[in-house]
Amino acid sequence: MADLLGQLEALAKGAREAIGSAADEKALEDLRVRFLGKKGELSAVLRGMGALPAEERPRVGEVANRVRDEVEALLADAKGRLDARKLEAELAGPPIDVTLPGRRLLPRGHRHPITRATEDISAIFARLGYEVASGPEIELDWFNFEALNIPPDHPARDMQDTFYVEVSTLGDGAPDGSVLLRTHTSPVQIRAMQRLGVPPVRIICPGRVYRSDYDQTHSPMFHQVEGLCVDEGITFADLKGTLAAFARAYFGEGTRTRFRPSYFPFVEPGAEVDVSCSICGGTGRLPVPGGQLPPDRATRRCGTCKETGWLEVLGAGMVHPKVLENGGFDPKRYSGFAFGMGVERMAMLRYGIDDLRLYFENDLRFLEQF
Amino acid sequence: MRISLKWLSEYVDLPAPDEVARRLTAVGFEVEAVERVGQGLAGVVAARILASEKHPNAEKLSVTRIDAGKGEPLQIVCGAKNYQVGDVVPLATVGTTLPGGTKIEKAKLRGVESFGMLCSARELGLSEDASGLLILDRGIAPGTPVADALGLEDVLLEVNVTPNRPDALSHIGIAREIAALLGHQVRLPRPALREAGAPAAEAVKVRIEAPEKCARYAARVVEGVKIGPSPLWLARRLESCGVRSISNVVDATNFVLLELGHPLHAFDLDQVAGHEIVVRTARPGEKIVTLDGKERALEPDDLLIADRDRGSALAGVMGGGDSEISAGTTRVLIESAWFAPSGIRRTSRRHGLKTEASYRFERGADPGMVIPALDRCAALIAELAGGTVRPGIVDAHPRPHHAPEVRLRWRRPAELLGVDVARDEVLRVLGGLGFEARASDADGATFAVPSWRVDVSLEEDLVEEIVRTKGYDAIPETLPANAARTPVEPADAQVTARAREALEGAGFAEAVNFSFVAERELAPFADPSAAALRPIALKNPISADLAVMRTSLVPSLLRNTSTNRRQRVEDVRLYELARVYRPAPAGSDVPAAEEGELAGVLVGRRNPTGWAAGPDPIDFNDAKAAVVAVLEALGIDARWRARGGAWLHPRLSAEVLGADGAPLGEVGELHPRVAAAFELPRGVFAFRLSGAALVRSARLVPRYGGIPRFPAVLRDLAVVVAEEVEAGAVLASVREEPLVEDATLFDVYRGPPIPAGKKNLALAIRYRAPDRTLTDTEADAAHARIVARLRGGLGAELRG
Repeated sequence: MADLLGQLEALAKGAREAIGSAADEKALEDLRVRFLGKKGELSAVLRGMGALPAEERPRVGEVANRVRDEVEALLADAKGRLDARKLEAELAGPPIDVTLPGRRLLPRGHRHPITRATEDISAIFARLGYEVASGPEIELDWFNFEALNIPPDHPARDMQDTFYVEVSTLGDGAPDGSVLLRTHTSPVQIRAMQRLGVPPVRIICPGRVYRSDYDQTHSPMFHQVEGLCVDEGITFADLKGTLAAFARAYFGEGTRTRFRPSYFPFVEPGAEVDVSCSICGGTGRLPVPGGQLPPDRATRRCGTCKETGWLEVLGAGMVHPKVLENGGFDPKRYSGFAFGMGVERMAMLRYGIDDLRLYFENDLRFLEQF
Repeated sequence: MRISLKWLSEYVDLPAPDEVARRLTAVGFEVEAVERVGQGLAGVVAARILASEKHPNAEKLSVTRIDAGKGEPLQIVCGAKNYQVGDVVPLATVGTTLPGGTKIEKAKLRGVESFGMLCSARELGLSEDASGLLILDRGIAPGTPVADALGLEDVLLEVNVTPNRPDALSHIGIAREIAALLGHQVRLPRPALREAGAPAAEAVKVRIEAPEKCARYAARVVEGVKIGPSPLWLARRLESCGVRSISNVVDATNFVLLELGHPLHAFDLDQVAGHEIVVRTARPGEKIVTLDGKERALEPDDLLIADRDRGSALAGVMGGGDSEISAGTTRVLIESAWFAPSGIRRTSRRHGLKTEASYRFERGADPGMVIPALDRCAALIAELAGGTVRPGIVDAHPRPHHAPEVRLRWRRPAELLGVDVARDEVLRVLGGLGFEARASDADGATFAVPSWRVDVSLEEDLVEEIVRTKGYDAIPETLPANAARTPVEPADAQVTARAREALEGAGFAEAVNFSFVAERELAPFADPSAAALRPIALKNPISADLAVMRTSLVPSLLRNTSTNRRQRVEDVRLYELARVYRPAPAGSDVPAAEEGELAGVLVGRRNPTGWAAGPDPIDFNDAKAAVVAVLEALGIDARWRARGGAWLHPRLSAEVLGADGAPLGEVGELHPRVAAAFELPRGVFAFRLSGAALVRSARLVPRYGGIPRFPAVLRDLAVVVAEEVEAGAVLASVREEPLVEDATLFDVYRGPPIPAGKKNLALAIRYRAPDRTLTDTEADAAHARIVARLRGGLGAELRG
């Protein structure tokens, strides 16, 4: 028995030394096989137990188990040490080239700036309780002009060069009358009032409009957003408050608005609405980069507002009584305001676009910037 | 309208020019430009030409000796020919810089010394006239600065007068506004008219045959006139307002037009046959030659000023050549009339003739100005052309003007404006603008509208006058108090938003194109069932390329693709979401059927971005994937059927159908001939989807269907089918088995050992029962049923 116990003791000692100095996982595995494998040293010792008397066997077995546990623990320890060292080595290596462009799951798409501006404008008015309404672009003269207090032979028709539609190409289903491409989104005022029938009316209508004018600063198709609010007791003060709120929401908190008398046949009184220039902050001057300049050269003229500090962005007014009547509302009882703006201009001011033609060329080098 | 402040100051006291501009803009007359003229003429003096000889070395030049008031005559070389010795002309002395930037220096011209430059009106920045030297009044002493002598310093305002305010298309009109604003008085011109000889009524008769088109026609006769150039002050006045000086008599009518705003016309009375003026409509087939030398065929709607025999002027628009004032005219008939606006406008438009007169008449001339303008003009002609005015006015006045009255309730301004306006302010403002208060009581007052304010007929118009003068700044800012309806986002807006997001997520950029295209571009996209119908066409398109309303967005996108490729942008993914236009169905309340379309085009590499992706080009399945992205975003379960419309490649395209079989759109590679027509290569893919169909099929609100409680059994299946058997048919057959929860295709293989003309489809099938754990035996049985069904229905063979 003493002989077997001595062998176990020697085995344990040998294992301690060998495992402590194992250099890698392969060496460790070899040691596991050498000590604990079926044909390993521990098995060989245990095979000698058969010759022992029965009363001595438990004692040897106990020692043998203790030695096996110790060797296994040593192996696990050594494995942990080696893993840790390997991880350290991996973590300590050089970083990858993080400047390589990331692999894209899919290229990013782009929304047209006119759509973006339209959505931004609509969202602001949605918060003020306005619904989006729509109407036809191919429109009856009556809705586009007559119902808006612009009778035939009225000089105000000169304000808008009109595309007329060849009625023979409309088919038999069309209602009678002269047909045109709407020159503004204002006919939607009439259609919305007729459709809703009763107040309150609070709608905005974004959409395409058409005028027969095509040069560097005019496009035969462009976009407007029309707004209409009709109810009992609506005043010009409400119009002012609404558009001032809109201007601050769209152009920024400090934006000021200015109303100037003007003429649109479908409102009375009518106004053009200016906002303080979003580029120069209403000062008319822009700082010139480059530090220490004398006061007269430290700023330059703001080209966006032409040094006036104001940008003309909206037309507005109180809905003309004839327009209310044509929409089916009694002008003695109800009043309302209407306003309209050009989306291209609103987008130009927001995004710094300097050429109207860019909008409709659909050059991807332009579109991809949005 | 150009307004000379120098001229204006004759009628009303003015503040500083910038203040005038600011105030006018503030009351609705936007001043678009303020131009200072006659500045920078410090070194320009009047000089008398003492002698003039031909230049010894130059055919076109002369050498003059001039007196510039300095004692010694100066020698100046000059190229003009329009002067005589003794004339006084402007001399730019050495050292002067002219308004155009020219610096005058002592010079030698072809060997002859010159000590300054004799100037034309253009060189002084006074007008566009560069035809010769500006000839000054001989009474001006040599050496007098020209700017002083002529009173050249002036400020010109470019005033934007809106169409409702024809009364402001004159200096008096603007003076009235300024006077009202500042509480000043207008100084109206008081013509000193000296009449002599036999009454005018003996010289001419006037008859109005169309009183509905001409409410009044008044005439005066001036005899013994001598036609000649206008004095410089008059020519300068007209030119500063952009009107060319013609002769003393014609200039007098134009002067009164610019001063009082009333258009006048002067006839040579001796050319008026029968000495009779007839105001009548044109006869069938009648023609007239207008002053611009054009013969015009007239319509019965055109109003003529005729004599006994024939028409001699297009009333209120343009005179005729026959009765024109000429150098030999001695007897002048001055016309001052009031024509109905709509008739003038129709004639002006019909003949494409827009004149100062038609511009004012079509907006509405002041009926109260007919006689004052006539008197003013007659006096001016007598003064300028030396004639005598025959006593009396020949005045046909079938429709006298009655000033309308408008009632204003005191509470109305507050109701409309949201701010109170005191009664005395109302009365003061309206009174200042010429609105006379008639009956006034506790409720309101009635105002007589002045004859020149043709734009005022309603209570609201008076409110505008009040607020215009008061200024919008006086109105507070409030928000409407009343509750709105619940704002509802319409279904199509949600469909639109989701479709956009889906396509942008797939790398598409949004395009916005004109709604009109060339008709030929639409041909491949025509609906075969409506082949006979043309697209909706414009009567007056910008060009043939922008002539018809598009019936599909695809051609515009193809053009965009082509343009981008020319710019070397070869990976293109564009979409557009807009309306297309077709004839309206019967009984429609709108002129055309306008429905949304969603279209896209894609070409180039599947993944255009960089090092980690292959150069694989986009193929049909990428185009289909874009469509699927949209459909999935809208909760639409689509079917696919081979072969799209005629614009698509017949083999590489599909029709997209809803679950109910309704058509949603088309997708595929462009037909090679369509691609060629748009200068595009092969391999361009496109789709179009009907907006209305998408809205109808969309399922925007998902339904929760529970999470399966029992495990699934997964089985793969590989079957060999004939090439023409569609994967969709195989999958549909698999899904007929009730225990199949889902089946996906994960591989398609052609080639050995699969025989030619056949393909191998590999499917992953998931079996599940909703109420129990499926046993292997049950799954095997289901799998066997599927194999049998595929074999029987589609001729499929199980692959070993």
